[in-house]
Amino acid sequence: MNWAWRKVRVLFATQFALMTEYRAEVVIWMLSGTLSLVMMLVWMAQAEAAPGGQVRGYTPAEFATYFLSTWLISQLMVVWVAWELDPAIRQGQLSPWLLRPLDPFWTYFLGHVAERFVRLPALLGLVALFAWLSGAQFTAQWWAYPAAIGLAVLGFTARFLWEYTIGLLAFWTDSSTSFQELVWLLYAALGGMFAPLAFYPDWVQRVAVWTPFPYMLGLPAQLLSGKATLAQALQGGAVLLAWGLIFGVVRYAVWRVGLRRYGAVGA
Amino acid sequence: MRRALRLIRVFTAASVSAQLEYRANFVGAVLASLGEAGVALLGLSLLFSQPGVQQVGGWTFREALLVTGFFMLTEGFISVVVQPNMSKIAEAIRTGNMDFTLLKPIDAQFNVSVRYLNLLRLPDLLLGLGLLVYAASGLNLTLAGWLAAGALYLSALVIVYCIWLGLSTTAFWFVKTQNVTELFNGLFGAARFPATAFPVPVRLLLTFVVPVALITTVPAQALTGTLTPALALVSPLVAAGLFALTRWFWRRAVASYTSASS
Repeated sequence: MNWAWRKVRVLFATQFALMTEYRAEVVIWMLSGTLSLVMMLVWMAQAEAAPGGQVRGYTPAEFATYFLSTWLISQLMVVWVAWELDPAIRQGQLSPWLLRPLDPFWTYFLGHVAERFVRLPALLGLVALFAWLSGAQFTAQWWAYPAAIGLAVLGFTARFLWEYTIGLLAFWTDSSTSFQELVWLLYAALGGMFAPLAFYPDWVQRVAVWTPFPYMLGLPAQLLSGKATLAQALQGGAVLLAWGLIFGVVRYAVWRVGLRRYGAVGA
Repeated sequence: MRRALRLIRVFTAASVSAQLEYRANFVGAVLASLGEAGVALLGLSLLFSQPGVQQVGGWTFREALLVTGFFMLTEGFISVVVQPNMSKIAEAIRTGNMDFTLLKPIDAQFNVSVRYLNLLRLPDLLLGLGLLVYAASGLNLTLAGWLAAGALYLSALVIVYCIWLGLSTTAFWFVKTQNVTELFNGLFGAARFPATAFPVPVRLLLTFVVPVALITTVPAQALTGTLTPALALVSPLVAAGLFALTRWFWRRAVASYTSASS
């Protein structure tokens, strides 16, 4: 246990140092993920113009709160590991990693975790600024915050595992990163980045509850807006945990099979 | 002019033969194009599928689809022509390969702007055109509308090119600038929707500060006949102004270029 803790500490410290080197880029990447913000503005204008000043019970301020929360959570969910695995596998840079007595998975994972801490100060500043500009009001119930953070942690782990699996497809195909874009679309749509899940047709909602997506983005956002209960949060956490386990097993299996195909470069 | 056209033909042929080497990438590019179209269409259909919603920002569904069509077309233009060329400028400056470009007996700005084409992203252009035709088939559009839209869309493409070139040219001083174009991409995402679908302050920002509205909304307004004469004039003026400005900026940048490691 002690040696595992030491590895985590060293990996985290080195990755944190690496990520702080890119702090300016981190802020730029944050601002380039604008889908939630664009949708927020459009829905706010819709509610403003609608008779009664609301669409499906959402006033402009409530739209602002929901989408700003989605933006905040989605910023904690950013995963780019597929883009790093693709060249590593195709150009044989994976080879030196394999000599270490540690699955490269952990280095990438802690790299992403460390980046969250680099991101956080600027992220919170921007959320405060946008909330002030748009009139968003987050819930006053204290338990919503730890619940949302818990869901975000579980959601991030699940997303990291599936993205990593997609990245490992580079053992077989050159266009693994394009699959990533399609899965992203599914994640963004069912996660609720375009609109709260209740705005979708019934059949989409019925399918969506079986996927992990609504619980990693939409549910924490609803928690922060004060529109979800603690029971829903616990249920969502359980679903995410189950999906995380499934993705973890799949990731491990794909890694083992893929490694047998790996012949470094030119082999 | 004829020399320029001949060069474009040579560059295109070179790009095609280079890319035919990697045919499998085509699948990936098609998936990416479909993903882009999915994002644009999903947002729009969700807005219109709410009970009681007939219009968004004064646009009917078909009219708003025109905007999405122009958006996809512009995405295609960026992926096929602009991005493959502009992303190589910073790299060429870092490695000193810009030397070779500057030594050639053709205009350097022309050369860095059209040398590479990513033809794998042609489906984006086809999707955009398809959307435009589909949207137009349900609307009463005039020939004059089409001509005006075509002219305004040409200015829009010039604006897009100039913004990317301007951002990429900063690489002569800062070297690491590839991420700055990400910022433009983020703002450009707003062009999926008609500019009038945004709250008023944001609308002004999208029209006058970052001319995103000029790129997709204005040509679509020309088609539907709702364009105000003032905006119709603004678009070509902004395009011409930006072109002159980036041209001047490019020359200044090249003049200060000292090659790698010097």
